Amino acid sequence: MTEASSRARRTTASIEADGLGVRFLFDGQQRAVTPALARLRRRGSESWGLHGLDFRIGPGDGVALIGASGSGKTTLLRLVAGVLSPDTGRLDMTGSVGSLLSVEAGLHGLLTGRENAVLLGVLAGMSRAESQAALDEIKTDTRLEEAFDRPVLSYSEGMRARLGFAVADYANPDILVLDEVHEALDHEFRQIVAERAHKTLQDGGIVMAAGHDHPLLATFCDRALWLSDGQIAADGPFDEVRREYLEEVV
Amino acid sequence: MDVLLSLTITDLKVRYGRGGWQLVKWIADPFALVGVYLVLVTLVLDRPGEAPGLSLACAVIPFQLVTMTVVNAMSAVAERGSIVLNMGFNRTLIPLSGTLTETVAFGASLLLLAVLMAVYGVPPTLAALWLPVVILVTLVLAVGIAYPAALLGVWMPDVGNFVMSFVRVLFFIAPGLIPLSQISGDAHDLLLINPMTGLFESFRDALLYGDSPGAFELLYPAGLGLALLAVFVPVFRTEQHQFAKILEP
Repeated sequence: MTEASSRARRTTASIEADGLGVRFLFDGQQRAVTPALARLRRRGSESWGLHGLDFRIGPGDGVALIGASGSGKTTLLRLVAGVLSPDTGRLDMTGSVGSLLSVEAGLHGLLTGRENAVLLGVLAGMSRAESQAALDEIKTDTRLEEAFDRPVLSYSEGMRARLGFAVADYANPDILVLDEVHEALDHEFRQIVAERAHKTLQDGGIVMAAGHDHPLLATFCDRALWLSDGQIAADGPFDEVRREYLEEVV
Repeated sequence: MDVLLSLTITDLKVRYGRGGWQLVKWIADPFALVGVYLVLVTLVLDRPGEAPGLSLACAVIPFQLVTMTVVNAMSAVAERGSIVLNMGFNRTLIPLSGTLTETVAFGASLLLLAVLMAVYGVPPTLAALWLPVVILVTLVLAVGIAYPAALLGVWMPDVGNFVMSFVRVLFFIAPGLIPLSQISGDAHDLLLINPMTGLFESFRDALLYGDSPGAFELLYPAGLGLALLAVFVPVFRTEQHQFAKILEP
């Protein structure tokens, strides 16, 4: 990124989980329901997406979440991003969060890249004026050129991810949360994501990223949490945890 | 405020598009929505009475605001699923922004009332000064209904058609086609239970009859709207962090 990278911050970001759990409730027809609705239904079932997680992530930590599909990686990232709240335990966080949890990146297909950028900027914590003032820079960073003023419906996955990342990046978050989306990016933009992640870490921020592209994760994560059935199977240096994981699954 | 404004502006852009046609669509929308009722009443049914088209518009226009708010709210969270699943923000603003979107659309329909007053030769009186109050009460009821409707849209999206049928029925069990003054007996009393009755009659009082709206006509829908807000905003606030589980289990 250009000027965004040069903007100074910073706080000392932290994430601390204590007995963290997320429970999914289902009705008699196995449809997901909220706790309020579950109280009104007589029959139902539950499963734990995350259960009893304890960890601490400090400033400058790049943490990769690895594990099989359905192991709880996305659920944990959603907790950190504020999309979900824990059903048990505590999640204490210091610092602002920028999240990119899907290739859709919060984009609305009928809106143009420019209109989406303003909306996402405001939702990320900027004022409308700040968000509008950032448009030229975001347009440059996304390299979308004239496509920036076209509806997002016409974008490829990579173009959407670039737009979402550029807005999240412009907001200059202390904690950057990425869920596989960087894997949809082209090689040039992956490099930019990696550089941005390094800058975040150097400034005392945190990067949490989930994905199956381990070499890419290794470029900005020196630590890994291996999640299995919603619990931490291993927590430690990236290469060590990755080796344990691969030995288990391959 | 910026989040609310941004959600509303994007909602309006999705609905009306961009450029010069925005204004044309905005003005044409209520005429198209109300037009079918007007044709029915003034031409097909050929109803007698005082300015039947204006009387009908005084009912249809506030009803459309409430109906469209429910339609918008029922799908509001799912429509914004991509942002709900991607980032943390105050989701309690979603039903409110949906109501604001419908309010902007509603603003254009006020032009229709002015046109019909001119067509029927009904001059504005001092009672028209009540119009802002009547509109405010309509908005309070609409936003009050928006929160349970949005929750229902998340909890039970498959009941959407049933809810819309129920809302449509509210028009026909209110003095929509026929003013309350032309209804007598038990039906008259029963219609007062419907909060739409007060809204319809208040619009007629202010614009057609030249009277001040009755206190009950305004206080009942306003009180109901506030009661719904008092109950459902806290529920929505609690539930907002569970939406991601429902939208993508």
